[in-house]
Amino acid sequence: MPVPTTDPDITVRAAQLRKAYTVTEKEPGFLGSLRAFVRPNTRTVEAVKGVSFELRGGEMVGFLGPNGAGKTTTLKMLSGLLHPTSGAATVQGHTPQKRGTAFLKQITLVMGQKQQLIWDLPAQDSFLVNQAIYEIPDAEYRATMREFDEVLDLSGILSKQVRKLSLGERMKCELAAALLHRPKVLFLDEPTIGLDVNMQERIREFVREYNARFNATVMLTSHYMADVTALCQRILVIDGGELVFDGDLSALTSGPDARKTVRLQLSRPETAARLSTFGELIRLDGLDVELAVPRGEVSARAAAMLTHLDVADLTVVDPPIEQVIGQLFRSDKKPEPVKALA
Amino acid sequence: MNAHTWRKFRVLMATQFAHMTVYRAEIVIWMLSGTLSLVMGLIWMQQAASAPGGEIGGYTARDFASYFIATWGTAQILVVWVAWELSFDVRQGTLSPKLLRPIDPFWMHYVGHWAERIVRLPLMFVLLVIFAVLTGAQYTTQLSHWLAYLLLVPLAFTLRFLLEYCIGLLAFWFEAAENFQELVWVLYAALGGLLAPLSLYPAAVQKVAAFTPFPYMLGLPCDLLTGKADLSDVLRGFFILLAWTVGFGLLRALMWRHGVRKYGAVGA
Repeated sequence: MPVPTTDPDITVRAAQLRKAYTVTEKEPGFLGSLRAFVRPNTRTVEAVKGVSFELRGGEMVGFLGPNGAGKTTTLKMLSGLLHPTSGAATVQGHTPQKRGTAFLKQITLVMGQKQQLIWDLPAQDSFLVNQAIYEIPDAEYRATMREFDEVLDLSGILSKQVRKLSLGERMKCELAAALLHRPKVLFLDEPTIGLDVNMQERIREFVREYNARFNATVMLTSHYMADVTALCQRILVIDGGELVFDGDLSALTSGPDARKTVRLQLSRPETAARLSTFGELIRLDGLDVELAVPRGEVSARAAAMLTHLDVADLTVVDPPIEQVIGQLFRSDKKPEPVKALA
Repeated sequence: MNAHTWRKFRVLMATQFAHMTVYRAEIVIWMLSGTLSLVMGLIWMQQAASAPGGEIGGYTARDFASYFIATWGTAQILVVWVAWELSFDVRQGTLSPKLLRPIDPFWMHYVGHWAERIVRLPLMFVLLVIFAVLTGAQYTTQLSHWLAYLLLVPLAFTLRFLLEYCIGLLAFWFEAAENFQELVWVLYAALGGLLAPLSLYPAAVQKVAAFTPFPYMLGLPCDLLTGKADLSDVLRGFFILLAWTVGFGLLRALMWRHGVRKYGAVGA
């Protein structure tokens, strides 16, 4: 049964979505194998523990969390690859795990760089297969390819065998193949991983333009915070299978535990122990120092540094989002899971 | 078949054909490696030549040559590797991108196998002619028998494909489904007539074999070409094959429906 959605603008809805796996464990060595053969040792791992959120049409949302937090599992449930253990999801009004044709024509999931292109043939052949499978009319296919070519600069690489493409070229083709049918919902799992800075920017630009052009909903996971800060205003943070933050990127950096980064240029070297008395030492590189201090104590701490240290220059900046997220996971006082949707 | 379906078939066939031509050298080597029936043919020909009366169970050396060359050719058309591919896809998670497309992955594999046949057939014909000339093999000249052969073999291929597909789907429940494939291959080779014509087996084995689809997949089409079976045998065999095909088609649908629920989508 689809989850009833009252707001017609909601395109993705997860309600108490949960996924548990049964994993078999085995001790190393011959005896371990023998024991596992006679009596397999299994345990249940909860990858996602009742996650709830809603995404509106056209929204671009960053989905962040450490490795093994449950990001990819959630995306796989929302794209219909995995059946939830409990809870429910709707995407564009469809139940993902039913994998109906109408649903599959409205979504895409991009994971890594080796997905749907036929490895031994030019990318053009894979595009033609997708055109046929998604029943894309010739005129629309040509128009889409023209648009993609303008942003991704595909000319010259479409007729090359996929296995002979560079990583960046392959990713551009993967993205184009995944979006050829103009899906309304994009699940992007690390779309820029392994790419150089220029190519990352090119992919970001492409996603931004696609979102603007088709009002597509985008849910993005990335280890490159530049992807998230460039594309997403709202972020969801998941840790240990639970949603621990859902809000604006700016709210994450201005909460009660928010901190500022004080950058110091010292005139003479100081020990790490002494510097740590002014705040958490983030970096010490010769005379260059970075300290994290509570946002509400910035003035007092900065004044103390100027008084007790030989400071040549001092600047106060917002910490990079990587540090904010890292702090969220390192904190002894972890945030409460986000309250479930009614 | 509507315009969209025809277009999908045409594009998939063209793409899969292009894909298979990349591996044409491997296909030739694979084809030449599947010579078990030819080796068995040589053994039986030798045995028949030295047997009293120059025959065994009604087969002369030339009959054996005709039978085993036909078996080799037919077995080439019945080659299926989908169980291995499916098992790999499920285990490695490479099934994921296929599940995201609005087409059952079954059709990609099925069309891919037929496209491979197009690459395989030209050299296969050349080798068949050479083998037949060298051994003096003889085949029916009745057009109706050849047409019946062309009706039986695609159905036999489809049945074998479905059977292997079901084996591949076992990967949803077991670590490695290929092991089941080896077991089924032994039954296919033995009861299908790859090692010897089924009429040379003990009566009890023949009776058991009649309850399996294998004699109708391989032995019957070959017997038809060598004049050891007639059109009434074909009619009966056709409906038996059809019944098995429908059965495995339903089983495949059931296994797919339940198996996909267990898919872990790991690694991709």
